[in-house]
Amino acid sequence: MRNRFITLTILVFAVCLLPTGVANAQGDKDKFKARYEANAGSKEFDPHDFSGIWEMTRLDHSFGTPPPPLTPAGTAAMAGRIVDKPGVIGNAPWYTCNPMGFPRLMNDDEPMEFIMTKEKILQVFQWEHRIRYIWTDGRQAPSGQNLENLGPAWYGHSAAQWNGNSLTVNTVGLDERAWLDNAGLPKSFHARIEESWKRVDSNTIELQLTLYDPEYYTAPYVSAKKTFKKMPDDAISYFGWSGLFAGISEGICAPTNEVEGYNKGFRDVGQAKSK
Amino acid sequence: MKRISILLFVLSMLAAPLYAHHGRGATYDMKKRVTLKGTVSRVDWRNPHVVIFMDVKDETGKVVTWGFENAGVSQLAQEGYNRNTLKIGQEITAVVNPAANGSPTAIVVKVILGDGSEIMSRERGQNPVD
Repeated sequence: MRNRFITLTILVFAVCLLPTGVANAQGDKDKFKARYEANAGSKEFDPHDFSGIWEMTRLDHSFGTPPPPLTPAGTAAMAGRIVDKPGVIGNAPWYTCNPMGFPRLMNDDEPMEFIMTKEKILQVFQWEHRIRYIWTDGRQAPSGQNLENLGPAWYGHSAAQWNGNSLTVNTVGLDERAWLDNAGLPKSFHARIEESWKRVDSNTIELQLTLYDPEYYTAPYVSAKKTFKKMPDDAISYFGWSGLFAGISEGICAPTNEVEGYNKGFRDVGQAKSK
Repeated sequence: MKRISILLFVLSMLAAPLYAHHGRGATYDMKKRVTLKGTVSRVDWRNPHVVIFMDVKDETGKVVTWGFENAGVSQLAQEGYNRNTLKIGQEITAVVNPAANGSPTAIVVKVILGDGSEIMSRERGQNPVD
């Protein structure tokens, strides 16, 4: 009975999504592929240095693999989440400029810069113009009462260490209001997400994520291997003004633009009437 | 159960709404194209979407102000466009997918300048509206 309920929930969910995706999938995935393939990676690189501006090559805004079945609590956590389909505007938190949160922002389609320091790594995301702190000074991600006292954060609390040439990041304390992906999958406050990063050549970093969330999932959720390509210099130097103005630009989602300007001025104005 | 989960995942991946930042529902009729000829009346050069407004005369001679959305500032800038690429009063032709309900709002397909050159083309990946 329980399995039947879960199956039905997933089925309804997938069927609701189907028409939109068929219409929109073309041309989005791999849209940067041709651009970066020409910029082949050399063999000379420091595997512990991720400095630079990177862009994900394959864009599905998700883990890219089938999720394990949800627990009843996980299914319940998705209540009220509406994803887009023709004639229906979803209610993803970021449509009203709420943070995408981690890891959704990681799977976004705008550039991200790695800044390496002695004690931490910063990720600067163009969308939201967001900074994520990843501590590399030996501290561990908070746990137990420390985590309970800290409480949830949109981007969680992250600590990392090197295992050979692989950087392992652990993130805990995620805010449950942020969706895991565009399909609205959940994650609990007590979840842990492990990232495994590896620089495989001068232009390429690979990432794999694993969500450990026994409250909401019946098994760990392992992502597809994600590939980030280093952006060519001419892609981060606007109008050829190299050195004058370059880098991560201001992709701030301002409610005055998004909610007042876009949602009310365009999105809602042009909607077809529901039949 | 696992097989069902995998099958449904494949379906949902085909289905997953790939717009990154914005819900659109049925805002635009993506199967329809409209060609607008008129003059630029305002350019909102800002995120998350650059919006271009243009004054267009309808069949009766009445001027209607259309607005059409484009990619964000950074995407357009990477393609070499800037806040002054289009100037107020400039005559342009815009090919757009119009609003589903007939209101004078739209999403860009391309902009054609007076000399016939095409710019800000979504078809050519220069204007990746998400």
